Amino acid sequence: MAESSVDLLHGSLGVLVLKTLSWGPMHGFGIARWIQRVTDDALQLEEGSLYPALYRMENRGWIKAEWGVTENNRRAKYYRLTPAGRRQLAEEAESFLRYSSIMTKVIRATEQPV
Amino acid sequence: MQPLEPNDGQTRPPAWRRYLRFWRSAPRADVAEELQFHLDSAAAEYVAAGMSREAAQAEATRRFGDVSAITRTLYTLSEERERAMQLRDWVDTVRQDVRVAFRRLRQSPGFTAVVIFTLALGIGANSAIFSVVHAVLLEPLPYRNAERLLNLREGNGPDVPGGMFVTFGNYGAWTQEARSFEAFAGYFTGASSLALTGVGEPQQIRVTRATASYWKAMYIPPVVGRYFDPADDKVGTPKVVVLSHALWQSAFGGDSGIVGKSITLGADAYVVRGVASPRYALTPQAAAAWVPLVITPEMLSDHSDHELNVVGLVRAGVPIHSALAELTRVQQDLHRRYPNASFDGTIVATSLLDALVGPASRLLKILFGAVAVVLLIACVNIANLLLARAAARRKEIAVRGALGAGRGRIVAQLLVESLLLAGAGAGVGLGVAALGTRFLVHNGPQSLPRLRDASVDGTVLLFTIGVGLVSGVAFGLLPALRASRLNLQSTLRESGRTDAAAARQPLRAALVVMQVSLALVLLVGAGLLVRSAMLLQRVPPGFDPSNVFVGGLALPNARYSTDTAAAARFDEILRAVSAVPGVKSAAVVNRIAIGAGGADCSARAEGTAGNSIGADMRTASSAYFMTLGIPMVFGRSFTAADRAGGPPVVVINRRLARALFGVENAVGKRILSCGPTEPAEVVGVTGDIHANGLASGVRDQVYYASTQVVQRGMTLVVRGAVPVTTLAPSIRQAVNALDPLLPIGSPRTMEEIIRQTLATPRFQSGLLAVLSAAGLLLAVIGIYGVIAILVVQRTQEFAVRMALGAHRSQVLVLVMREGMALALLGIAAGVVASIFATRLMEEMLFGVESRDPLTFAAAALLLAATALASNLVPAWRATRVDPLVAMRA
Repeated sequence: MAESSVDLLHGSLGVLVLKTLSWGPMHGFGIARWIQRVTDDALQLEEGSLYPALYRMENRGWIKAEWGVTENNRRAKYYRLTPAGRRQLAEEAESFLRYSSIMTKVIRATEQPV
Repeated sequence: MQPLEPNDGQTRPPAWRRYLRFWRSAPRADVAEELQFHLDSAAAEYVAAGMSREAAQAEATRRFGDVSAITRTLYTLSEERERAMQLRDWVDTVRQDVRVAFRRLRQSPGFTAVVIFTLALGIGANSAIFSVVHAVLLEPLPYRNAERLLNLREGNGPDVPGGMFVTFGNYGAWTQEARSFEAFAGYFTGASSLALTGVGEPQQIRVTRATASYWKAMYIPPVVGRYFDPADDKVGTPKVVVLSHALWQSAFGGDSGIVGKSITLGADAYVVRGVASPRYALTPQAAAAWVPLVITPEMLSDHSDHELNVVGLVRAGVPIHSALAELTRVQQDLHRRYPNASFDGTIVATSLLDALVGPASRLLKILFGAVAVVLLIACVNIANLLLARAAARRKEIAVRGALGAGRGRIVAQLLVESLLLAGAGAGVGLGVAALGTRFLVHNGPQSLPRLRDASVDGTVLLFTIGVGLVSGVAFGLLPALRASRLNLQSTLRESGRTDAAAARQPLRAALVVMQVSLALVLLVGAGLLVRSAMLLQRVPPGFDPSNVFVGGLALPNARYSTDTAAAARFDEILRAVSAVPGVKSAAVVNRIAIGAGGADCSARAEGTAGNSIGADMRTASSAYFMTLGIPMVFGRSFTAADRAGGPPVVVINRRLARALFGVENAVGKRILSCGPTEPAEVVGVTGDIHANGLASGVRDQVYYASTQVVQRGMTLVVRGAVPVTTLAPSIRQAVNALDPLLPIGSPRTMEEIIRQTLATPRFQSGLLAVLSAAGLLLAVIGIYGVIAILVVQRTQEFAVRMALGAHRSQVLVLVMREGMALALLGIAAGVVASIFATRLMEEMLFGVESRDPLTFAAAALLLAATALASNLVPAWRATRVDPLVAMRA
């Protein structure tokens, strides 16, 4: 895994988690699996690094943890989005999209610098 | 998706979250369980995909990363969260307590209003006095190196504890020899005034004559220009002047171009060197201008005429005590050389700040003590009210306790209520303080330096908040502790009648006793000061001050260059003024009694080497004694025969005559004083006068004839046959007809002069009387409250007594006895406390002992009478009880 992809991962992991939770409450393992599935495992997520990110987001009040029970009747900690987290997701998604569209425009540019 | 509950971490967390702690108390276990779940789930997946259990677990761990490092990170993060939650919970609790307290205070608006009002007065009074104390006493002086400035006087035995002013000769010696001083400021104040002409109306302005070293020792940067320097106070240099900021503004419109220009003072042109900082003006009577004090070699040889104010600046790095030791050595050497010149070789040194504010500090300390006592009484009152409230709230508190609130929580909640009250009291108190400060600034004695600077500023604000907090805890803690310490079972089991248990109120009784005793201390203190002020006012000054006009006349040297010319002009003026219709008699004197006092000389009989007696040297015209109403006891006043150049004559007062020769024998004897060097013959003996103010005793006087000892600066004294205030314009006309450029300086009446000296004692006694009235009122309210509640609690008992045949008067006596027992106990304690407290104000008393039995008795009687009156109402109500109604209740 290249260094640059790790950096990318750190910056956008928050958005990924928030996006995941926007579908509904989920435990850490489920979040990891969902991210791997939708990104076709392209990010090569080191699963453990997810947890500090989750705790930080909880301390910021974006998500909220609660103990629940899985289908297999096991105790697991579920995270869900708070209204503040929902706003945060909207903001981050928008700025990410704007950034990416600008970058796209730049990279596709055909005009030569003067 | 709709969130389960509306919590985004911004609003207040729900109360139930606190109970989460029960099963969420181990954040570390949580972390371990969560990670284990992840590893197990991942492993299960790999097993399902066909891996062996061991391989699956290894793969799960590998893909997870560094488990122990991540665990440590999560520990830290969850602990952070825990701390944040605790803080939020705490804030939450406080907020809740405040809300509950608010609600409860709103439920009893009467109680709340009374408490806030009482506190506002108590705290406001304290802040107002503090604002003055801060401005007058605590602020450092505005001079550079103010902490190294010493006010210096020459010691002259125990009779003159404040020391003597400094002679020019000794001043010169100090400047030459005392190396540990950087500079000695020498200056004259007060008596000197000059006419400012050429700008607007001629006006007499107060001038300080100061050496150039004045500006070196007591330096504040000038506003414009510069101060005068050593070259300016040499003989024969052109005259220069430094304007005060106030004069610069009022007479010259604040024009900076005035520097270097010439103005007319007296009859001379003075070049304006600069404008002094406004901070030189410590009192309203501050100098309007400074001119160089020119010290001639001839003056430097005078070691017996004590005239000069001296302030020394100790050299940086030299300890004050060693600087004083050196100066004392110089002074002792001078004493050896001039043994008979009214100084004994010691130095009386005080820090300049103490010298300036010393008298004020005593007044302010007493006032500060008095307002503190008033606030204390107020706090005791409120504590008593809170105790009564707590008794009524026993049920509520017991329920809280039963529901699991710990004692600490209950105390905290009750304290929050007290602090809210105190905060509101302090807030309103700030308004009271602002009004009080304004009152003090406008009505306080003008002699208080820097009084005008007093205002409710940041420091006073902090002080007010501090006093608020302290009083909140002071009146709240005891009732809160007490309320929280109740037996839940017995309280809850009690019937609806809660007051039965509250009958035990020894604590409240003790508080009332304390209040009464404090109030008595205030009353006694105020009584002593009022009596002092009254006695002081009644002191016969030794002359008749009624209907006497006083004003300054300063003949400028330039236009009256010879003594003969000056004496002739004074003679003309007196004749002209005496001729004004309605004028009974007119005279001049160099310093008017009481208005311009100051010990300045001594006298001894001719032919005796020692035995000189401290006395003021005055020069007066012949009609002075008659005009001021000083009785002539023996001999005569001056006559036309006592002309310039003739054998010098003096009139002395009776006490001096007795001390020197015996009263009857004095006339015809000859004495030596600060007048001519040859002995002067005593031609008359007058009555004694309080020349330096009513509070200080008789001061001995040696009067020379103004024809023989001529001074340019004199005071005109006029007694009227009609009210003198109506004569002032004609007196001015008469003077100006002779010299149109000669103004009459600070015209006033002798009664005004005396009233001014009485301003401070009157002000302090008045203020203390008001404060003690407030204390008395609060104490009476305290007694009333306790007795009123007692009557309510014992209504049934009284009803039974009356049903069994007790007479109404018997019930009345029963109740009164309770109240008066408290009052008398308080009075007894107060008398003891007063004996100690009044000792602190001994120095401020005049003509009355600090343990004056009359004052003590009067205060105790007043307090007992008011207590009696305040008991009557509840006692009378007890007798109105209808036995049938009361017993059925």
